[in-house]
Amino acid sequence: MSASTEPPTNLIASSAQDIEGLLSLGLYALIATGLILILLLLARFLGQRTHSEAKDAPYESAVDPTGDARLREPVPFYLVAIFFIVFDVEAVFVVSWAVAYDLLGWAGFWQISFFIFILFLGLVYLWKMGGLEWGSQSARDQKRRIG
Amino acid sequence: MTADSSLQFPLLSLLLWLPILGALLCLLWYKAPAASRWIALGTSTAVFVLSLVAGLYSTGSAGWFLYEDASWIEHFGIRYTLGMDGISLLLIILTAFLQLVAVVISWDQDKFSALFFALILVLGTGIMGVFLALDLILFYLFWELMLIPMFFLIGVWGYKRKVYAAVKFFLFTLAGSLCLLLAVISLHLLHGEQTGVYTFALEALQQTRLSFSQEMLFYLCFMAAFAVKVPIFPFHSWLPDAHTEAPVAASVDLAGLLLKTGVYGMIRFAFPLFPHAAEKSLPVLAVLALIGLFYAAWIAYLQTDIKRIVAYSSISHLGFVLLGLAAWNQTAWEGSLLLMINHGVTTGALFIAIALIHKRTGTREIAKLGGIWKSQPNLAAFFLLFSLASLGLPGLANFSGEILILIGTFSSNAVWAIFAVGGVLFSAAYILRMVQGTIWGPCCEPFDKQDLGGREWLVLIPLAVLVVILGCYPQPLLDSLREPVSFMLRQGGQP
Amino acid sequence: MENLVQEAIQNVNMQAIMPSLVLCVFGMVLLMVSVFSKRGNTTHVAWLSIAALVITGFVTLSGWNNPQGGFADSVLFDNFATFFSMICIIAAGLTILMSDDYLKREGSPVGEYYPLILFTTAGAMWMASGTDLMTIFLGLEVLSISLYVLAGFFRDQTRSNEAGLKYFFLGAFSTGFLLYGVALLYGVTGTTKIQGIAAYVQANPDSAMNTMFIAGGLLLLVGFLFKIAAAPFHMWTPDVYQGAPTPITAFMSAGPKAAAFAALMRVTIVGLDGLQSELTSLFWVLAVLTMTVGNFIALSQKDLKRMLAYSSISHAGYAMVGLVAWNAVGLSAILFYMLVYTFMNMGAFAVLVLIGKKGEDNLTLDGVAGLGYKKPILGIALTIFLFSLMGLPPTAGFTAKFYIFAGAIKAGYIWLAVLGVLNSAVSLYYYLRIMVQMYFKDPEEDFAWVKINVPTAISIAISVVGVLYLGIVPGAVMNLAKLAGF
Repeated sequence: MSASTEPPTNLIASSAQDIEGLLSLGLYALIATGLILILLLLARFLGQRTHSEAKDAPYESAVDPTGDARLREPVPFYLVAIFFIVFDVEAVFVVSWAVAYDLLGWAGFWQISFFIFILFLGLVYLWKMGGLEWGSQSARDQKRRIG
Repeated sequence: MTADSSLQFPLLSLLLWLPILGALLCLLWYKAPAASRWIALGTSTAVFVLSLVAGLYSTGSAGWFLYEDASWIEHFGIRYTLGMDGISLLLIILTAFLQLVAVVISWDQDKFSALFFALILVLGTGIMGVFLALDLILFYLFWELMLIPMFFLIGVWGYKRKVYAAVKFFLFTLAGSLCLLLAVISLHLLHGEQTGVYTFALEALQQTRLSFSQEMLFYLCFMAAFAVKVPIFPFHSWLPDAHTEAPVAASVDLAGLLLKTGVYGMIRFAFPLFPHAAEKSLPVLAVLALIGLFYAAWIAYLQTDIKRIVAYSSISHLGFVLLGLAAWNQTAWEGSLLLMINHGVTTGALFIAIALIHKRTGTREIAKLGGIWKSQPNLAAFFLLFSLASLGLPGLANFSGEILILIGTFSSNAVWAIFAVGGVLFSAAYILRMVQGTIWGPCCEPFDKQDLGGREWLVLIPLAVLVVILGCYPQPLLDSLREPVSFMLRQGGQP
Repeated sequence: MENLVQEAIQNVNMQAIMPSLVLCVFGMVLLMVSVFSKRGNTTHVAWLSIAALVITGFVTLSGWNNPQGGFADSVLFDNFATFFSMICIIAAGLTILMSDDYLKREGSPVGEYYPLILFTTAGAMWMASGTDLMTIFLGLEVLSISLYVLAGFFRDQTRSNEAGLKYFFLGAFSTGFLLYGVALLYGVTGTTKIQGIAAYVQANPDSAMNTMFIAGGLLLLVGFLFKIAAAPFHMWTPDVYQGAPTPITAFMSAGPKAAAFAALMRVTIVGLDGLQSELTSLFWVLAVLTMTVGNFIALSQKDLKRMLAYSSISHAGYAMVGLVAWNAVGLSAILFYMLVYTFMNMGAFAVLVLIGKKGEDNLTLDGVAGLGYKKPILGIALTIFLFSLMGLPPTAGFTAKFYIFAGAIKAGYIWLAVLGVLNSAVSLYYYLRIMVQMYFKDPEEDFAWVKINVPTAISIAISVVGVLYLGIVPGAVMNLAKLAGF
């Protein structure tokens, strides 16, 4: 705690160095964007522009493109993915309590219990909303008693 | 200066807030038009009586003979301060009288009549507040309060181009008063920095030490608000539209009262607060007044709509009033204030007569009018009387004011006075043209043959009597004005 | 390790976060209530959330004149925070009152709506009471994420979806800027505490020349200015305000804006006090730009929600004038202004909520033609709100603007006040256009669909009373605002 309140000296550069650093950063950015621009413009000016059906088609190894470019995935995958993130990230807090549970004492215990209770409420909410139903949209809607 | 206000009956507050109460009652009974009519009549009669009662306290000396003071927004030192001296007394009586007239003349108003009468009453509060307030923020509050009902009166009950006229009126006057507000706040803060007392009281702010350039800047800001209201040329362009499109009661209030608030603001606030700047500005004011006088008369001569003629004649007459102020001596100032009252009565009366003609003929175009003398001799006679009074015929209302202004102006600047005499000639030209086109000549339209009805007699007779009395015997009014005017002139410093 | 833990435990001061804690607990309980209730029936959730807000209001007010700090100085619930929290609570309450019927009309009575508003309010409270950039950021995120959902609440309406998505993307960007700014400031000063930053600036008077410090400060400001909807970060406002459900639009324009102002004020005036001269000139430009852009674009708007969105931008500009003044008067003026703005703006939106048809396509200038006659009471209420927005006496809009401009003049910014007043003159025109339609045009519609329901009527009545009370006898609340400044 006490260490962090002091300014990390290595980050504080004198202003001359600061400007130098900025200059090189600016130069780098300039070269990078310039290169991209030059390449694009060169291609535009040097290349021939002809249009034909075959040329305009997206590259599909000489096979005619079929179907929709957008793939449809079942929504439940997202749901589960988000559940995972939600509950997995919360574990960080629980673990950080667990490694210091003896120091934190009863106050810490009640706090983490409250926290876990909130998580539990979240689970109840999801369950009730049909978030755990694996199936079509209509099946989940039925569970939620709408539509 | 300050009368003992602690135990006094709050007559001024009663005068101010009674119309608001009446307006609320009107809105409460908005489903019964008749009720709102009677409420409005009762309220404005009561206010008129109260204003006469206030006259009984008059002492004829310069100070406030009625005075009320209470804390309001302590945070900024804003106080609720009202005061009445000879000048405000006359203007209050005029307001109360014209309010009563306005209510009676709009008796058969049947479009949203509750709202109509409520707005008329609120307008009365705004105008009387302007004439009574001695705290600059309180003054500003009432100054804005006048605006809102008038905006709706024109916009809802007006004639053809009502929306245009209402919005123009609103934007013009509000732009002016925002300048006023800025100047008031700045003055307040300057005074506070100098003395440590943050206040908006007029008398305290008069003691503020200002450099000449500051004084000039504030003076111009104040005058921006007042010049629009008066209106001084070249800020007059809202007036013809507003007057012409407004319903008759609103026209009466506009011409008879609202224009006077501008002049009152100058003599009560702008001149005493910034005497040096005022002194420097007098020649400019006089020139603008003369331009207004002639320009408006000329335009009035070219109008074909008789209501528009009277609207422009107002600008012309107010030019006269301003000239009197610019002359800056006792006689001219008394004349100006007297002319304000006279003009309020005559122009109000003229607007009413025109409205009655309009009601019978359905038109206000000179070309289509004519021959009213034959069909409605009584109405025509009243119209003639008011027109002649407006023209400045000796013995009728406007004359007494105009002659005083001319005498006063002669003694301070003869050239202005000579020009102004020419202005009287001009006004004869357009008034006579109007009278000739309306009363005489061939009858060209078949119209409602009925002459004056009972209620119309009731309105026109008192107005006619007043026009004659004000013309023949203005002495009581001058008595009331003398001391306050001389006090103000001394306060402002003789240029 | 041991010390750190001890410090953390000792610093816990539940008093400092009690109001928002209460609100969050209620939010979670209501979430459970709504999920276990019959779908489509949300009225009881609405009333329960009103009760939650009332209780929170009492808890908040009990902390008046009793500043509570804690959590290693990252939270300070002082009078300033109390005042802003009360603004947010009032805004949330008015929103909920006008929401129930609205949701039924628009066909989406979903109970989560109300807990989300409560969470937003809790986030706003953290922003107002945060004295650590991380706490403020936490509050901002809680507030923003709930608002993203609320803005896009009508999932089957394209406009609402658009609003939600737009708000989310731009909001995420701005939060990113803010976080980057925090990181840079931490890099320079080694702390995220506002007091620490202030100490750093004091110790290094040349920090105004430090590029990294300036970049960090500016990025931080971008995040707040975005939430305030100050130009040039106002682009999201019209689309989001128009597309979002009307009560949420009203809420966004009052509560979160006030919270962002609170955080901005604390960060600049406490944390960056050393940079006063630089920041005031920056805010001078931004204030003028914001009010001018808002007012001038509003002139040409036909859609009422959009017009009010631009008007809301311009009002943010007026409020920023108080920040330029950088004195006690200016600060309390902002507090007072945000309270007044909450009443007048939410009142106006509440009237719009009532007169809208399903889908709200009729909320245009032409759509209110003759409203003043057909629905006289609604007409008068809207008239009062519009006069207040214009800044005419005796409404609260006048006293608030008076307060703001007096602060600016006192600090010597005469021209800023002049520009502000000129801007108010411009704004008259578009507010007048609404009134012209309401009163001067003959009614084309009979407004038969307008059913005045009790909760919305209550919210309008509260707003009217607020606008008139703060306009006629503002002394008491002005004193509170004065005590709430730091």
